[in-house]
Amino acid sequence: MLDGLMAGLTTAVMPFNLLMVVVGCFAGTFIGMLPGLGPISAVALMIPVTYGLDPSSGIILMAGVYYGAVFGGSTSSILINAPGCASTVVTSFDGYPLAQQNQAGKALALAAYSSFTGGTIGAIILLFAAPALATVSLSFQSSDYFALMILGLTAVAAFSGKGQVIKALIMTTFGLMIATVGTDVTSGTTRFTFGSVDLIDGISFLLLAMATFALTEVIMTVLKGQHAQEEAQMDMSQLGSMKLSKTEVREVAPTVARSSVFGFLIGVLPGAGATIASFLAYGFERNLASAKEKLKFGKGALRGLAAPESANNAASTGSFVPLLTLGIPGSGTTAIMLGALIAYGIQPGPRLFVDNPDVFWSVIISMYFGNLVLLILNLPLIPYISRLLVIPRPILIPLILFFSITGVYLVSFNTFDIHMMVLITVIAIGLKLLEFPMAPMLLGFILGGLMENNLSRALMISDGSFAFLWERPLSASIVAIALLVLIVPPLLEHWNQRKGRSKGIESAVNEGEG
Amino acid sequence: MTMTKDHIGGLIFLLLSIAYGYYARQIPLLPGDEFEPFHAQSLPNALAIIGAALAFVLLITASKQPDDRLRLSGYHFLLVAKLLLLTVAFALALNWIGFLLATLLFLIGGYWLLGERRIKVLLIASVPFAVAIWFILTQLLDIYLAPGRLFAGLGG
Repeated sequence: MLDGLMAGLTTAVMPFNLLMVVVGCFAGTFIGMLPGLGPISAVALMIPVTYGLDPSSGIILMAGVYYGAVFGGSTSSILINAPGCASTVVTSFDGYPLAQQNQAGKALALAAYSSFTGGTIGAIILLFAAPALATVSLSFQSSDYFALMILGLTAVAAFSGKGQVIKALIMTTFGLMIATVGTDVTSGTTRFTFGSVDLIDGISFLLLAMATFALTEVIMTVLKGQHAQEEAQMDMSQLGSMKLSKTEVREVAPTVARSSVFGFLIGVLPGAGATIASFLAYGFERNLASAKEKLKFGKGALRGLAAPESANNAASTGSFVPLLTLGIPGSGTTAIMLGALIAYGIQPGPRLFVDNPDVFWSVIISMYFGNLVLLILNLPLIPYISRLLVIPRPILIPLILFFSITGVYLVSFNTFDIHMMVLITVIAIGLKLLEFPMAPMLLGFILGGLMENNLSRALMISDGSFAFLWERPLSASIVAIALLVLIVPPLLEHWNQRKGRSKGIESAVNEGEG
Repeated sequence: MTMTKDHIGGLIFLLLSIAYGYYARQIPLLPGDEFEPFHAQSLPNALAIIGAALAFVLLITASKQPDDRLRLSGYHFLLVAKLLLLTVAFALALNWIGFLLATLLFLIGGYWLLGERRIKVLLIASVPFAVAIWFILTQLLDIYLAPGRLFAGLGG
């Protein structure tokens, strides 16, 4: 482990990679602050840039953008009560009231400290958990991989919220269907190309990710008329002091520690990302508070701000565990990173740890740097970064459109791809209006090819019998977990309904899969 | 009966799965493939069945609340259609007039559609940006951008 750690450290401290962390954090913070654009869109917009970099630098950049976007989302939640993404919705519950009490500076600082602690604790656990899990998963065979992919696909569906499980499963199937377009790798026959030469290679991951998460998100803001809304004014002179008193630190310290570990554990679960972690941590903290403190929640409680902020950053880090060790993404954003890794020719999963230790370790090491950059560089610069938000929407929207289109065009130099993007955007808007979640589709698309290969190999080995699913104890247990994940949430929901309890998590979870 | 979003979505995916299943049967197989446990048609066939089954379940379990009906009022569909058409036009323009001019026209068109009418702003926000991007791509990154058929045809 020490060798790997040193290799990762050497890669991560290379000046260019350090630059990537800084650039990523800044770009992420800026994009994350724009209402409507969350971490998924931010990371999707970065894919074309990473194509020109080597794998470690590319992934480091994306990871930087990821934390930056989560941090930027909390900034706009606190300052203008407009969360940039679903995972920072909870931040606005107590962050915005604090800003209204002229304590925006304190709220921002607390958010940054909590994010930093959450991210760092997460990165430390990741340091130990990821290699341990990777060692175990080295013994995996095709049947286990197939079972694992089933688990990944069902878990994303299961965590997608109330009444959404079937819709998410449908979208996963839709993603798998899109993945079958193009040439079949095992037999070489073309499928669903309808005679078009442009479809022989299938639909590229970059195109699908950019169309569904960058282009569609921007077009949705226009569709909802948000482009014409007056800019919410942020009065920077009212920021107030950024210092926290000793008593305040003592008040929030246990909360931050608790929520970080809690957030990390939630983030590790495939499918449950930062959003669920932040909601659960907030609810958990409110339940722990005394009756008197409970009343403060929602009116500017420091604990109510610290809990979701540490949890969502720790969960962002946690979601790298299944990505790096099993090749199963824990959230929509890590799904995009998975696609990017595959595009580099790197197979995330147990072999990553052995074949590309530099990528594996440098990502983990760069997480510390990312958190440091956010704390040391981004926090003092927030008043300046937020000035960028003053760019009027009618100017900003065409620019983002341009970046998402040319990002795809400049990789393929084929204008057919732009037409395809428009078509996918139209379909995605329709599906969004019908309240279908997008992340499961992308995940199905990314895992589709791998799943087919592993299933085909496993079936060939077992001579066409599906018995491998229950004859190998490892495969059997993973399939059992997948079934549990699928069956338990609807049952719990049913049970809660009968008891008349309701939770507020689902509505926000449906909006963004960050 | 109220037709909710779930019903519409379920119906669309049911039809999609049937069409997908139909075309899955058309995938050419290699001789002898039909005796193999797994071939090019296997997964598509399975997906068509799973998709249809899930769509059917969605139709059965669909919410019947009037609140869940699809409401299309209040959305700016016309503007979105114009923006998407502009994007398609950009793709066509790329082939004909080249990257620089196409970018310029796309940006100005986009600003205009979203309500920016001041000519000064339209030009300031597009010309330097388009030239800078073009310069970075062609001069710094050494990427070849085709000049466009119109100019190529003029002997350029």
